[in-house]
Amino acid sequence: MNSKRIRLWDLPTRLFHWSLVLCVAAAVISGQVGGKWIDWHGRIGLLIVGLLVFRLVWGLVGSTYARFAQFFPTPGKIKAYLSGQWRGEGHNPLGALSVFGLLGLLGVQVLTGLVANDDIAFRGPLYDLVGNDWSNRLTGLHHLLANGLIALVVLHVAAIAFYGHVRKQKLIKPMLTGWKDEGEGESATGGGILALIVALLIAAGSVYGASGAWMPEPPPPPPAAETPSW
Amino acid sequence: MKSKLLLSLVVATLASSAMAQVKPEDAIKFRQSGYGFMAWNMGRIKMNVEGGNYNKEEVIKAANAIQAIANSGMGALYLPGTDKGKGWEETRAKSNIWTDKEKMGKVATDFVREANEMAKVAAGGDAAAVGNQLGKLSGTCKGCHDDFKAKR
Repeated sequence: MNSKRIRLWDLPTRLFHWSLVLCVAAAVISGQVGGKWIDWHGRIGLLIVGLLVFRLVWGLVGSTYARFAQFFPTPGKIKAYLSGQWRGEGHNPLGALSVFGLLGLLGVQVLTGLVANDDIAFRGPLYDLVGNDWSNRLTGLHHLLANGLIALVVLHVAAIAFYGHVRKQKLIKPMLTGWKDEGEGESATGGGILALIVALLIAAGSVYGASGAWMPEPPPPPPAAETPSW
Repeated sequence: MKSKLLLSLVVATLASSAMAQVKPEDAIKFRQSGYGFMAWNMGRIKMNVEGGNYNKEEVIKAANAIQAIANSGMGALYLPGTDKGKGWEETRAKSNIWTDKEKMGKVATDFVREANEMAKVAAGGDAAAVGNQLGKLSGTCKGCHDDFKAKR
């Protein structure tokens, strides 16, 4: 096939990607700094919930190369890739592993974060769903996996540098512009405005769910049960 | 002022009688009680700052309680060997509390300083300033938790 300029990453995928970069960086920093930033850490976490859910839906209804089915890394594909046999466009099978690894790990981070507490004055919005014991355990996991997440991001960036310098493949430019100059496949299709609206609505709904705004307010203490003034 | 004096007197009395011959199990219990009680008061301040319904008196009470506990000399409860043991629950104190004395001393001093400042700011009654100081104070809690409190 002749190489030509192709449309690789659709705009929503690119916006998702770079928003996630900003949010994850902000979440890592605010989590490490703590103090008054812990409340921002919680808010950024909710944003990441929305981004992740958007990406999950977009992986089903988005354009060609954004779809999970297009790049799902089967053992066969990975083997073919490692032996140099794989030909394709979009995420290569190892890159796909990284995508699913990052999405999965971030998923665990937001789920554990939503029920976490910091033993100071912060509780995740869904803390009450699991109670103190589980919150403590899952907070421990949240701390532990934060290191795994940072490691995976470093690997992701290192891989991009490797492809850029050694394999002479420019991966960053298509993620910015959406276009790949010497593509060998077809331009991406699908992922129209309706799909986008559906994905955004589901993402917004999930942020609402994660925010705990739907949870019953603790009943205000009845006047009769007023506590002593001392 | 009088009540503050009385409170510090009570705390001092309890601390000195506890120091006399506190059993390891009790020392861990006192520790956990102190931090748990401070957590209640941190939550109270936070609720007042965030709720849009700031109650100056309530915040002063909470800040004074934290200040009193911070200044109660809880270090006396960190008996050698009490990095293991059960108080109300299994202790999460890490053994480097007893070995990394310099850093531990610093995070403890930071905490006491910000707790004192918290009480001062609370007395001023400025909700924004209290919120800001609450952030600083929480930061010093975290300063210790990060290095000296075991995760679960």
